[in-house]
Amino acid sequence: MTSTETFYEKLKKWLDNFITGSGYTNITTGYITGELQFLVFIIILSVFFRLFSVPLAIILLIFITAFALYFAPVIKDVEKENMNDLNRVLYWMVIYFAIIIAITLWGG
Amino acid sequence: MIESISNLWSIPLLVIIPMLTAIIVNFLYDKAIKPIAISSAIIILIISIISPYGYHWFCGHPALNPETLTFTFNPNIFGYKLSLEFIFGPLQHIMIFISSLILLFCVILSTIGLTKHQGPYIALLFLLFMSSAIVIMVNDLYHLWIAVEIGSLIVVGIAAASGTSISHKAALKYGLFSAISGAGLAVSLALVLGLTGFSNISDAIMYLKQFGIGEMSTVLYIAFGFFVLSWMYAGGLAPIHPLKSEVYGASYPHGTALLQAQSKLMLVAIGIIMLRLFGMLPFVKEVMIFLSVITMMIGVIMALIQIDFRWIIAYLIISHSGFVTLGIGLGTQEGLIGGIFQAVNDIIYMTILLLCCEALFYFGGKTSTKEAYDIAKKSPFIATATILGAIAASGIPPFNGFQSEIILIQACLKEGLPEIAVLILMVSVTTFIALLRGIYRIFLKPPELQDQDNSNVDLPKVLIIGIIIFIILSIIIGIYPDIVLRFIIPVVKEVLSI
Amino acid sequence: MTEVTIQLLGFIAAAILIVVGMGGMLFLDNLIKKIIAFTLLSDGVNLLLVALAYREGGIVPILLPGMSIYDFTSRAILIFPAGIVLTNIVIGVSTTAILVALVIMLYRRYGTLKASVILKGERR
Repeated sequence: MTSTETFYEKLKKWLDNFITGSGYTNITTGYITGELQFLVFIIILSVFFRLFSVPLAIILLIFITAFALYFAPVIKDVEKENMNDLNRVLYWMVIYFAIIIAITLWGG
Repeated sequence: MIESISNLWSIPLLVIIPMLTAIIVNFLYDKAIKPIAISSAIIILIISIISPYGYHWFCGHPALNPETLTFTFNPNIFGYKLSLEFIFGPLQHIMIFISSLILLFCVILSTIGLTKHQGPYIALLFLLFMSSAIVIMVNDLYHLWIAVEIGSLIVVGIAAASGTSISHKAALKYGLFSAISGAGLAVSLALVLGLTGFSNISDAIMYLKQFGIGEMSTVLYIAFGFFVLSWMYAGGLAPIHPLKSEVYGASYPHGTALLQAQSKLMLVAIGIIMLRLFGMLPFVKEVMIFLSVITMMIGVIMALIQIDFRWIIAYLIISHSGFVTLGIGLGTQEGLIGGIFQAVNDIIYMTILLLCCEALFYFGGKTSTKEAYDIAKKSPFIATATILGAIAASGIPPFNGFQSEIILIQACLKEGLPEIAVLILMVSVTTFIALLRGIYRIFLKPPELQDQDNSNVDLPKVLIIGIIIFIILSIIIGIYPDIVLRFIIPVVKEVLSI
Repeated sequence: MTEVTIQLLGFIAAAILIVVGMGGMLFLDNLIKKIIAFTLLSDGVNLLLVALAYREGGIVPILLPGMSIYDFTSRAILIFPAGIVLTNIVIGVSTTAILVALVIMLYRRYGTLKASVILKGERR
């Protein structure tokens, strides 16, 4: 078994994770595009920490990229977290509210 | 702004005509509804065009000049007005004009399309317009809160009006949530009122600037937190986006056009008020930028994985709300101009897409991309219009989306935030991808089974006229952005000068 | 040590009502209970506003004949919160009515009042 094959198999397995139903669907294309977009988005967001300190941004960048690739596909989890379940939305709202109040109180 | 001591005639008309029409239309039978509703929508449109600028005060007085003891409108002179105040200025002019244009088409389309419960539905449309008109004109906390509460109740009603179980569930979720954040806004109002003693926002800001609040600033932070909560739910920002997009997707498409116009108006109005009231606190702008970036990202990613054209548009509306709030959150002159301009453009191009979506209903009522329909062959006009709308939404010149996005990108670069500029670009590109997926499946892909139904579908002429008018508006604003910018720039300067 | 006044007690009661109402809306599963929690929340906000306007020995802010302006301005309570409370009661009633109407419709369809069953997330 050469290394190329294993890499190919890994990639195939990764792609298979996206497929729901009968393989060829436009849902699959949406999921793959969404996955890549999400990866790029969080990489850009991690770069943001350069405003606080540059080394922190570099460490975060590496960690986030590694984690996102390791836990791929994350898009399914993203979708689940953005479900229209009332309790989930309320949970996120409470978290947001706590963060906003904490940040502003801390800053003041 | 032209100032006069007497109250402006047009402001009460813009509030009372929709309200009266709603009451009358609610009780009428089918045939009488159409002329009354359409004529009052036209009257509102005319008023919004010809109205001069001015104030409407419920109580209070012009500021008293301490030296001469005469009344003055000069904002540089320190003095309280103590009034519940409505303002009709350039910003209100352009915003109310656009939303009354959408109201006119919505009303006509619903008189054509709806067969059951036409009266109450049109009444809700008028009340929705009224709440958005109030929220953009208001300059006191009391009416702001009332407009937001009424607005959210009407949104619940319009979502429930389409009558499916999905829409009832969406309405109930949004209703429960609006109950929480409406109470939150009332708490915030109470806290600001308790701190300053003024309900007029200009007075409250003047008090905070003049005397400071020292140790009590903690209370102001909590007020800010509750204010952000109501901002999030009125505009459907990040954690609320599943509920808001569900409301957009579950309503009739023409209703969604008015709903998204209302939510953009709310975002602009509440955002500017937050910037004026809390702008001097640390981390306020950062919180606003953070919320907008998350909204932009999550909205567009969720749009990518949708399979129904309506839900794709619903999530894109959420995502593009992030542009508006981003501009306001930046708090600079370019940022504010870009944000407000983006709100105007967004309303226009999303209306094009939503009216095209409405047209799909006449071809069998299915908007899912699971089945291909080949509608481009049946109606090349709708296919072309949808593609033009998609191009406008993704910020490609010569359409209007380009002009505001370029201002926003420049504002981000000037603030030293190139990452956000990159994000804006990416969201625009992804918008195009998300829309094109739907467009290809619905309009361009030939059906797998041979389509038996080749009968011609007659689209209502109003729908076609509406789409054409909004496309023309989009191109004109794209080529001559100064048409809109000359309304926005003086307002922005005034906001930042306080 | 802060002096315990009626106003302070009012604020504390309002805070308790708001927290109980918020908690009920977040954690209770029954939709009718959620709506009842909302009415508690709304009452808490009303009490906060009323307590805000309270003034020791205050009078109703209506200028009656024979009352001197100085006396009136030094004793009248803040008029504004009263107006807000009045509006909040009306808005609370209409919100409750709409929510209950929707719950009735959904109950007929699903035969249950559990939010975790009716309002659970679904793939579109």
